[in-house]
Amino acid sequence: MAAPHETGKGLSQGARNALPLILFMIIGFAAPLLAVIAYSFMPPRSFGLTHAPTLDNYADIFTSNSYISFGWSMLFAALTVALLALICYPIAYGMARLFGRWSPILTLLFTIPLFVSENVRLYGWILFLIKNGVLLGTLKSWFGIEPESILFTPGVVLLGMVYVYLPFMLFPMTLGVSMVPNETREAARDLGASRWQVFREVELPLSMPGIMIGLLLTFVLAVGAIAEAKVLGGQTIIPITHDIEIAFTYAQNWPLGAALAVLLMIVVGTLVMLVLKRFDLDAILGKR
Amino acid sequence: MSKRPPILQLKSLTKSFGTFNAVDGIDLDIAEGEFFTIVGPSGSGKTTLIRMLAGMEQASSGDIILSGTRINDLPANKRPTCMVFQSLALFPHRTVGENIEFPLKIKGVDPAQRKARALALLDQLRLPQNYYGKSVLRCSGGERQRVALARALAFDPKILFFDEPLSAIDYKLRKTLERELKDIHRETGKTFVYITHSLEEAMVMSDRIGVMCAGNLVQVGTPNEIYSAPKDKFVSEFMGDVNVIPVSMNGSRTITADTFDKTFTVAAIPEAFSKGHLVIRPEFVRFVTEAKEAENVLEGKLYNEYALGSRIQYQVRVGENVFIVEKLRQHSSTLRRDQTVLIGWDAKDSILVTG
Amino acid sequence: MTDRGRRALIWAWTLAVLVFLYLPALCILLASLTASRYFLFPIQKWGFDWWRKTFESLEIRQLFANSITIAFCVMVIAVVIAFFGALAFARYNWKGRTVFQKIVLLPIFFPQSVLGLALLLWFNAVGIQTSWMTAIFAHLVWIIPVVTLVISIQVYSFDPALEEAAFDLGASRWQVFREVTLPVLLPGIVSGAFFAFLLSWGNFPLSLFTTGADATIPKYLYAKMVAGYTPGVPVLGTVSTFGAALLLLGGYWLVTLRRRAQS
Repeated sequence: MAAPHETGKGLSQGARNALPLILFMIIGFAAPLLAVIAYSFMPPRSFGLTHAPTLDNYADIFTSNSYISFGWSMLFAALTVALLALICYPIAYGMARLFGRWSPILTLLFTIPLFVSENVRLYGWILFLIKNGVLLGTLKSWFGIEPESILFTPGVVLLGMVYVYLPFMLFPMTLGVSMVPNETREAARDLGASRWQVFREVELPLSMPGIMIGLLLTFVLAVGAIAEAKVLGGQTIIPITHDIEIAFTYAQNWPLGAALAVLLMIVVGTLVMLVLKRFDLDAILGKR
Repeated sequence: MSKRPPILQLKSLTKSFGTFNAVDGIDLDIAEGEFFTIVGPSGSGKTTLIRMLAGMEQASSGDIILSGTRINDLPANKRPTCMVFQSLALFPHRTVGENIEFPLKIKGVDPAQRKARALALLDQLRLPQNYYGKSVLRCSGGERQRVALARALAFDPKILFFDEPLSAIDYKLRKTLERELKDIHRETGKTFVYITHSLEEAMVMSDRIGVMCAGNLVQVGTPNEIYSAPKDKFVSEFMGDVNVIPVSMNGSRTITADTFDKTFTVAAIPEAFSKGHLVIRPEFVRFVTEAKEAENVLEGKLYNEYALGSRIQYQVRVGENVFIVEKLRQHSSTLRRDQTVLIGWDAKDSILVTG
Repeated sequence: MTDRGRRALIWAWTLAVLVFLYLPALCILLASLTASRYFLFPIQKWGFDWWRKTFESLEIRQLFANSITIAFCVMVIAVVIAFFGALAFARYNWKGRTVFQKIVLLPIFFPQSVLGLALLLWFNAVGIQTSWMTAIFAHLVWIIPVVTLVISIQVYSFDPALEEAAFDLGASRWQVFREVTLPVLLPGIVSGAFFAFLLSWGNFPLSLFTTGADATIPKYLYAKMVAGYTPGVPVLGTVSTFGAALLLLGGYWLVTLRRRAQS
């Protein structure tokens, strides 16, 4: 609303508008995370928060083989991010520079899958890859060959993750690439840079904010991935989120699950803070 | 100076941000029906000043008096004044007609009357009647300018404020719109208070000009007064290309340059002047062949020449100092680069300023 | 490589990735049109039997009702909070703004499954029974920030002078809001609403832990998938995919129409 007088009294115009959101985030985000942290210090298999705090759960984790799950989650998230960067960059470049009037409709087509729950989309891959499914069924009836299904292998889990998180890499990346003013590319070309030099010296550094956000977002989402391994992976891979879920459900050991979640939060939180600190959001989101 | 009663009076008006005074105690009377322009470089506080006058910023101290009433505490929507913004602030989701009718709609004027008024304003601003239903997004720069003015006029304000509305428009159209604005001012008889960083623009339109620098009004006067008798170095330099030499008093009609060894004759030395600047407009400096042809003569080397339409400007280097000379374009110029030349001016054409 | 060659290559790659993106949806569609109990490809017998059976099921109708109710409530609440949040995010220059911007982003950059579990713990700690209502709350934690960002992008291109001009022309605060701020920001609000509804509709990781005894379509599908094949799964999968696509394409079409009408 119009600010006729910015008086010094009470909250500023901005703070007043931010207030509902901040209050909601305190009870909906900060409080639950604090609850998790509190639970992680409760004795194993307890359900209340009234016990004396203990470090048993953390000790349990470091003596158990949870680190394997942690490793799987990190490895798969890193691989997903690397693959997505390679897959998405040409598309982002096309969206920002080449596709012109087609890019809104292409954007739309890349957006639609975002709104379908990931398990449904992953289920489609099962139907495609399963024995007698779309791929193998076609091969069998047309060529008479019957290769083994690749379903329930680590490779398919990776495929599923790349597939599910593709839009999360693509959109920030497109935003980043479109932040590069065309004149700077032309100027670099004009000053004698090769195509590769233009890319390295101008294109990449200038589109970095968007790319970094894409990398960060996909990494964080992939570390927290749960459906891919369950739906596509059978039991070949146990990600950390699965361990956490098991602790909360079948094992009924909430404090252990909370401790695992805290460790994951520390990794993710550090990463997010490190990256977000470096960026001016106004510049990325297009403040004039 | 005008003899009409003041419609707007500012009394030691100040706006501070922390310890910094963006507007630093301004006193000013603006007469009813006057076209008053405040001109100053960016950061001089002129935008803060006009936003205070329009009610969009709260004054820190001092008074704003409109027709005898102090209006400091009236919010913008209660003040009988109206502003044309730098960005024009046309409502993008509305047609030209709806934009113009907006203040009437707010006042609760019935639709038929609103439309009649809007059409009359379109006419007055030389916009075709069929623009009434056109989207403002499809109007050209000049048309948008006129729509913004029509919308402000529809409000029927006592004073119209303008916050550099022409700054984003190309040179040729700007010249046309400046004249149109002055015509509208004449037709409506309203008080216009205009802000710009271009003294040239101010000269064309204004009855009076106030030159602003670092939160203060340095000089207020008619365009002619500002041009022919700038009060200090800042005002004279703001006027455009001039020769400015730091000088000290030497005799009853003579002064000495501070930075090089030369004495000049002036028409008169103001009282209480001991140190200051000598200002000579480039059009008053001429090339001479002998020292006796002008009262003040310097020898220098021609460095470069610049064509300015009907005139040509020359840069002459006298030792470390650079002088500019302007003369009307002539068909055969015999001057060559690096040629040694004599330049001179008469005592009556020099201006002495203290600041 | 020539410019044309590079261009063609990028186009080809983009289209290939789109095929990759839509291949599973196609498989689900095919499976839903199979008349037999099990999915065998190539399909021997086509039919709509499973569609009919699925929609006759009362359980499934209840699921639809749940999902739509949750998505609708999330949409309304998220849009209201996010609208003001976006003003604070992008419109006003205030002291806490940069910190606020990071706070808004934090839940987006957080693993949703962990967030779901954290909320489950939290509800338990304060003694709230999980149900479709707690699911709304859980969805909001993630969706409000997203919608705030979506609306913020519109707010960034909003000229504050518009509000000042309206105010200067005599409008009251409320009139400025109704006549200028709201209509100018409307496209951002509408796309924010689309995002809110659809993200809630398709959400799985948050619903998994926070719906309690009530189920949403994604949660139900997951249970069925893990349990073994039912032809109801492809049917519901197709519905949710095409529902989202239709809603989005329809919205896009409306926006294009509006833009055409304007110019």
